[in-house]
Amino acid sequence: MRLTIKALGWIIILLWIITLTLPFSAALSLLKLAEGRNLGVQEPTFTFSNGNISITMPVYINNTGFYDITEANVKIRIWKENVAIADMLASLPEIPAGQMVNASCTFTTNFREIFQKDRTLLTKDANLNVNATLRFQVAHLIAFSIARVFPTQWGAPFHNLTVYGETYNSTGHVLSFYISFNNHAFFSISGFLTVGIFNSAGETVGMTSMDLNVPYGVSFMEFVEVAVDPSKMTGDIYVRLFFADLEVFERMIRL
Amino acid sequence: MSEFELQHGLNRRRLGLRVAKALLKTAAYAVFWLIVWFLTSMLLASFPEYFKLFSVLAGGLLFFTFAMALAEGTIYQHILVIIRAFFLIVYLAYATHGGVLTINLEGLAFTVEFVPLLALMIMINLLEIAWGMLQALEFAAKSPKD
Repeated sequence: MRLTIKALGWIIILLWIITLTLPFSAALSLLKLAEGRNLGVQEPTFTFSNGNISITMPVYINNTGFYDITEANVKIRIWKENVAIADMLASLPEIPAGQMVNASCTFTTNFREIFQKDRTLLTKDANLNVNATLRFQVAHLIAFSIARVFPTQWGAPFHNLTVYGETYNSTGHVLSFYISFNNHAFFSISGFLTVGIFNSAGETVGMTSMDLNVPYGVSFMEFVEVAVDPSKMTGDIYVRLFFADLEVFERMIRL
Repeated sequence: MSEFELQHGLNRRRLGLRVAKALLKTAAYAVFWLIVWFLTSMLLASFPEYFKLFSVLAGGLLFFTFAMALAEGTIYQHILVIIRAFFLIVYLAYATHGGVLTINLEGLAFTVEFVPLLALMIMINLLEIAWGMLQALEFAAKSPKD
């Protein structure tokens, strides 16, 4: 009994030493990592393809600490007036102690998912809130996370979208008009813009599509001609524009 | 002077000595906690209620140091070890919000999650409870019966 008590006493002391040393050494490890140029983020690149918006940021981490850094990830949540619009998560590889890792941090979100939550973002600039969180684990035991909320300006990809100058050629059965907008978004728009003409009963009268490739910050204007079915024409017709299967715009035209 | 008075005087002297010894030990521990306070307050002062929580921990452990020194050589010393371990379990779980601490520094929310470490600390305290129980049992087994 006496020996058991003595052994248990020593085990308790040893466990307390280990348990109390660990957080201090982890903190020291982080301080070593924070000093100098051990962390770096390079210029991000924005791409838009197949209906997905991607932000790619090359990062480098030189783990000068004593412990491995695991389960590192960056989470970004974008809000507009308390409504979450997009959630993006990018995972980083494991960074063993004493090693330098170059990685690419890619955030991808679906264009349709964002604009289904708020259509106005397609055509109107807005003030958004971004919540960015960096989370990682040190020594496989202690997790740290740093979160920051900051406002950002959203530039609409189809800002000031207008359809104007419409004319109807009753002999050739062609409806023509101009489409114009400014791409205020941080990415280039590429894909098909479908132009649909509908009658007051909701039937399709004519349809055409145009291949868009509008770089960011550039104004777009194009003259469009749509062949229509004269038997379905009504006095009031609707011009609807679709991008990535999303209705971007609607306008009624009285002929 | 009767034998009873002599015995009574001796007991009072022994108690006084024991209190003085306990006070001295507690004072030494108080100096230790003061040093810990100076070392940690610079880094951890931003944590909410840090001063209050540190005071409760230091005060509680100083009380146990004094009480255990006073009860040295009795079964109460081992019972106090068990109570101290219970106190630490409750304190650690409450003060660390279950192992997740968050502070806000100039627009940055900094969170530390150490649930496995807290579990380890609780496990150590459970071991300490078992240790205290074994010591109390051994003490009771060795004590002469009335």
